[in-house]
Amino acid sequence: MTNHETELEVQACLDRELSGGAMRTVEDLLSRDVEARALFEELRTTKSLVAENELEQKLPESREFFWSGIERRIKADEGLRRTAEVSEGRATSWLRFLAPAGALGALAIFVGMALWTPEKFSTAVAWDDSHEIETPLEETSSFSFRSEAAAMTVVWVDSHRE
Amino acid sequence: MSRKLDYPSVEDGRLVKAAQRGDMQAFEELVARHRDKIYGRAFSMMRNEEEAVDLSQEAWVKAWQRLKQFQGEASFVTWMTRIVINLCLDQLRKQKRLRAESIEQLDEDSGGVERQMPVTTPNPTERLERGELRRRIDDALARLSYEHRTVLVLHEFEDLEYKEIAKKMECSIGTVMSRLFYARRKMAVLLAGLKREQIR
Repeated sequence: MTNHETELEVQACLDRELSGGAMRTVEDLLSRDVEARALFEELRTTKSLVAENELEQKLPESREFFWSGIERRIKADEGLRRTAEVSEGRATSWLRFLAPAGALGALAIFVGMALWTPEKFSTAVAWDDSHEIETPLEETSSFSFRSEAAAMTVVWVDSHRE
Repeated sequence: MSRKLDYPSVEDGRLVKAAQRGDMQAFEELVARHRDKIYGRAFSMMRNEEEAVDLSQEAWVKAWQRLKQFQGEASFVTWMTRIVINLCLDQLRKQKRLRAESIEQLDEDSGGVERQMPVTTPNPTERLERGELRRRIDDALARLSYEHRTVLVLHEFEDLEYKEIAKKMECSIGTVMSRLFYARRKMAVLLAGLKREQIR
């Protein structure tokens, strides 16, 4: 018996993890294969030795000291949770105020956009038909020209080279 | 009007109910009763006293916070044990990520030298007192890699099935079977050595 899969089946048989048919196949193997039987016995002995002999551990701290650590952590966690709840509550109350204000703002923007016309806008601001912007630089200069009537912008760049 | 509980004489179930209503003294009594068992499980998995104390305390804190979720399907101590096991597994996973792979871990799934070891039948019970035997078995457990030890602890001590272990350890059932097999073989080798040592 050299197959690892078979070894695992022998173990699964010991642990009662096989279905009826597979169980019978392994039991049959165990009845005729000495090596498989020896492995089964080794696994069985080890399993029961370990399972029945767990060492009982003793907590290396006194009841009071151990509990004080737990109590401290519980109170600290509860304090943190309370703080989080308070700030969450504040955030919620702010949201309660901000949500309608935001909705009103959005409505105002929407109404403003609906009433807005480019003509009004172009006269309202200083962009007339021939608006020029000068961009003074030491080595270069540029002028831009925007014509609302022609719906175009022209930019001149002058490098000052003769 | 509710009668004051005589905490030390009351059974777990009533203490749990009182603790669920916010009675911290009832919870303290539960901690006192089961602290060794919960610490012991943490220690069997971590093999480090300080970590085991810390994780068992954390388990009790979690238990207090989740006490309302405890419906009593299993015993309180079983429920507590599951909490501490999960915390230990999380901690071991964190440590594994931080740790460089050791040679032992490299041959984890191939079984290392145990693959080639002849079959042996350890029987140290013949010569050892029970307490001594337990200590030796515990020493042998300490020499396993944490993957092998964990699977053995969950299977032999906690009586979990392959699929439950696979779920907890986040691996396949095949891996659980393989780890359990090599863990047992290694234990057999370690305990057989113990037997020879006793004979000499």
